[in-house]
Amino acid sequence: MADFTLTAEPFLGRFEQHYDDVKLREIYDVAVVSAAIPLRKLTAAKKAVRAAFGVDLPEVGLSALSQDSAMRILRLGTDQAFVVFPRAQQDTGAEPHIADLLGGVFYTTDQSDVWVTLELSGAGARRALERICPLNLAPDAFGIGAVARTSMEHLGTVIIRTCDDSFLLMSASSSAHSFLHAIETSIANTA
Amino acid sequence: MSQQTHRISGGLIDRSSTLGFTFNGKPMQGHPGDTLASALLANGQRLVGRGFKYHRPRGIFTAGSEEPNALIELRSAPHQEPNTRATVTELFDGLTATSQNHRGPLEFDFMAVTDLLYPFLSIGFYYKTFMWPKAFWEKIYEPIIRSSAGLGSLSMQEDPDTYDKGFLHCDLLVIGAGPAGLAAALTAARSGAQVILADEDHRAGGRLNAETYDIDGISGTEWAAQTLAELSAMDNVRLMVRTTVYGAYDHGVYGALERCTDHLASSDGKPRQVLWRIYSKRALLTAGATERPIAFGNNDRPGIMLAGAVRTYVNRYGVTPGKQVAIFTNNDDGWRTATDLAAKGVYISAVIDARDIEPPATVAGAAVYMGSSVVDTAGRRGLHSITLASGERIESDCLAISGGWSPNVHLTCHQRGKPQWRDDINAFVPGGTLPAGMQVAGAANGALSLGAALRDGADCAARTLADLGIKSKASKAPTASDEAHRSSAYWHVPESRPRAWLDMQNDVTVKDIKQSYKEGFRSVEHLKRYTTLGMATDQGKTSNIPALAIMAECTGKTIPETGTTIFRPPYTPIPMGALAGRARSKDFRPYRLTPSHKWAENNGATFVETGNWLRAQWFARPGEKGWRDSVDREVEMTHASVGICDVTTLGKIDIQGKDTAEFLNHVYTNAFLKLPVGKVRYGLMLREDGIAYDDGTTARLGENHFVMTTTTANAVLVFRRLEFARQCLWPGLDVHLISTTDGWAQFAVAGPNSRNLLSKIVDAPFDLSNEAFPFMACSELTICGGTPARLFRISFSGEMAYEIAVPARFGNAMMGALMEAGKEYDAVPYGTEALGVMRIEKGHAAGNELNGQTTALNLGLGGFVSKKKDCIGKTLSLRPELNRDDAIRLVGFKPVDHSQTLLAGSHFITKGETANMANDQGWMTSVAYSPTFGHSIGLGFIKRGHERKGEIIRVVNPARNIEVEAEIVSPHFYDPEGGLQRG
Repeated sequence: MADFTLTAEPFLGRFEQHYDDVKLREIYDVAVVSAAIPLRKLTAAKKAVRAAFGVDLPEVGLSALSQDSAMRILRLGTDQAFVVFPRAQQDTGAEPHIADLLGGVFYTTDQSDVWVTLELSGAGARRALERICPLNLAPDAFGIGAVARTSMEHLGTVIIRTCDDSFLLMSASSSAHSFLHAIETSIANTA
Repeated sequence: MSQQTHRISGGLIDRSSTLGFTFNGKPMQGHPGDTLASALLANGQRLVGRGFKYHRPRGIFTAGSEEPNALIELRSAPHQEPNTRATVTELFDGLTATSQNHRGPLEFDFMAVTDLLYPFLSIGFYYKTFMWPKAFWEKIYEPIIRSSAGLGSLSMQEDPDTYDKGFLHCDLLVIGAGPAGLAAALTAARSGAQVILADEDHRAGGRLNAETYDIDGISGTEWAAQTLAELSAMDNVRLMVRTTVYGAYDHGVYGALERCTDHLASSDGKPRQVLWRIYSKRALLTAGATERPIAFGNNDRPGIMLAGAVRTYVNRYGVTPGKQVAIFTNNDDGWRTATDLAAKGVYISAVIDARDIEPPATVAGAAVYMGSSVVDTAGRRGLHSITLASGERIESDCLAISGGWSPNVHLTCHQRGKPQWRDDINAFVPGGTLPAGMQVAGAANGALSLGAALRDGADCAARTLADLGIKSKASKAPTASDEAHRSSAYWHVPESRPRAWLDMQNDVTVKDIKQSYKEGFRSVEHLKRYTTLGMATDQGKTSNIPALAIMAECTGKTIPETGTTIFRPPYTPIPMGALAGRARSKDFRPYRLTPSHKWAENNGATFVETGNWLRAQWFARPGEKGWRDSVDREVEMTHASVGICDVTTLGKIDIQGKDTAEFLNHVYTNAFLKLPVGKVRYGLMLREDGIAYDDGTTARLGENHFVMTTTTANAVLVFRRLEFARQCLWPGLDVHLISTTDGWAQFAVAGPNSRNLLSKIVDAPFDLSNEAFPFMACSELTICGGTPARLFRISFSGEMAYEIAVPARFGNAMMGALMEAGKEYDAVPYGTEALGVMRIEKGHAAGNELNGQTTALNLGLGGFVSKKKDCIGKTLSLRPELNRDDAIRLVGFKPVDHSQTLLAGSHFITKGETANMANDQGWMTSVAYSPTFGHSIGLGFIKRGHERKGEIIRVVNPARNIEVEAEIVSPHFYDPEGGLQRG
């Protein structure tokens, strides 16, 4: 029996900062599971999502909250979705949990440690994102629930609009500090 | 303190406040709303700089971004910025400006002697002289020429300002907020379109701020202010002043530079400038027109300026550039200068019109000369008088000249649009293929009267809305009169004897154009390069058309037949700092940290950049005198006991799907179809042309679940390649990819005690014995009381070794746990240097060997290209040239004299042969000092290497003048049979 225990560490040390009209924080207690739709199994996949989450599999570029609002399903591609949900830092059971929920229909991969997740919220969020996000984030162009893969400061990013002035930003965990710097700089430059 | 001797009534400046500034150290005053140019003129400062080549006195020539003359150094080091146009520099309190390009005081420039030498300094003189001796050009002639001619100077200090960039989106981008732009923006905005209205000026309104027009019964200035107020209040409008749209790019993308704090004394920590990328569905160019001069003798003296600029200073800034103003025009618009100045009480000494027609207006008190011209001027540091063709001399301290107006077509040409000539206005207008989605309106489109510009702007906006499917809300278009703007094609005064200047920024004269013609440089592109016409900060905005007209005269062609040069971005200069943006210093590019980075920092690691990653290079211990001590110790301890290295940076790709094995079988050269679950296999990939691409291992975790590792450098490229193969080559296969490189913290645990160490980490009942978990085994398991992990029995060091992976958030703790568990075995962390030494000892190919030129055969991996199946690159790998008998092979090298050092990059020459390219046998790719063997070792490619083991070869490095004799040996220095790694 091993005599050691491993303690998880958030990639950005639970970063949280309030600015004038913007709040930026690391969402460190979040699980991300990739769910790939097997070839020619879209119908089964849709059925599995409906059964697991009580909602329809969203169209590409959109996300949906599960019926109990506990999980968010992001449709990132024709054959790929992410399931994002809260979990304890030490919890490592995200992938088998989602695989079970989806009845083994999808190919699932734990992505929790691949991504660092930041939440940018407040009236100035969109103004700050204007400096690094090439997408049109105007409310009528990027509605609540919209999701997109893009690039910010050369870093691959998934952006999700969760409510009026709140965005989840996911980028590679290894470059978390560069990503944080990019967002912080944008906030500072537009404050 | 200088007095504002030339300030008159009116204007759009705030006289309730005074701003202090200095010019060449002399204190002066101005008001908010002034530019540096208007404030200098208000203070009676006409001489502001010296000419580029002849150091002639130069003054303010325009009132806008087209300014060729009034270039100054703004602020002081380290904020010093050379070549700033005084005409677009907003005045602020405390501004310091310095004139440039003179030796000694501005008024007594020592270098003005060059003006006397002008017969020897004709265009292209540096192409024809200074030919001998050859070596003198770079060392003597060029430095002298460069120091005596030129523009401003840099502070040579780091720029302390910050810059940023950003992205904007709109339905309609309106470029230029003059009458046409405002009318267009108003039409589009009222209809609900998302509008961006950009203008380079700090006060939108364009010529409306400089003229005395009426619109809808109110002054044009007032109408502009009301319109701007309405637009500013709309949520769907973004009004961007101080913003130059400098380039038109593909797909409706425009580049724009916003000068955020240039008008302030300090940026206060905010970005000085922002470079915007604007994604527009449609764009409307309403950039107005630029007035042209007429060339005549000594037309470059301070006090001579464009007529429109004179009106701007009088009407907008409440400044008269002179107290005895003469006007020389070839068009009706020039006469507005006379009427406007007369209305302000400025004395008009003469109006000279080159056209022999009835005077278009009467100007009280002014002498009028129709069908006449100015042939010369006088005044040492500023205009004193003008001389007419008749010989009459007229006292004047300001001469306003107007040669007509040229539409600002520049952005229409950024994608090869070709302007078309219009005889009725003697100017080029947009033509050919415009950038997709662009329309042009107003003066930029040749609509030179105010009424026409307003109508054109509103109509274009309405058409654009219809095109976008946005219903246009009916509203009355603003109306104004269509003032006369007849002009004649009169470009220069032929009777003039002295030099007549065309391009004042580059000191190009009418005579220079004629000489260029005589010497055969007749194409406009040749003309530009030979004479430097139209280069530098103003890009010939005032000089191009007159110069083309003179070349047309020489060639006997029309102006449109002569053509124009190609306008390219940027429209006006963009500072390098703005292009660099926030990418500087540590954040020049993103950096990636390994999961154990914090542990490494705390334990003496020196880091090295490998791609974007920062990796531990070695871990120094107290008493070690240099990096070699640390690296030698890390290698020795790993061979003797156990070493631990963070190898997270290797690419990891999670591959799932029922056809994954078949997919991998196509991607790799060797067989993967029957790789058993729980096993790892080395794999080699080829490019389509048969050259080795990347290598790594792939583990089969389940029937349909594989994990591929790639080299650190090629992680992204391999992923991209697999995606291409999956989506395009074999879309019928059920295969799904996702990168997990960042998801798993992976550590190599290598050395004879690696198993003992890991046995303290893994959770029971996992069996690490050689029988249960042999070489090339893999498994998912838990460690440290339940943390999920992946274990691979693979070795890069040649030792019995494992790679163990845990979710990245546990990586830092994992490194600590491994070191703690390894304490009793004197476990050491090792960095990339020790990793490199051991891989060379073992003979593993890495980036130096997989360099994009080598094949599997070269690498000694020919056997890995299966003959029983196809794979990417196989067919072309069979090309005879790649399979020659004398092909280079990867082998090892050790110096005959063990005290000698091998050098990577050295070439191999057979003993007794001359060291030249003809006798080149190959090259050394990687070398290291091996503490295991106590001497330098190397890997390299040499012809027929596999057949030449034992041969002594010369290792020659001509660049460093080093030659060493080395023996060709097996590349596998360490444990060539592989017994150790098999445990």
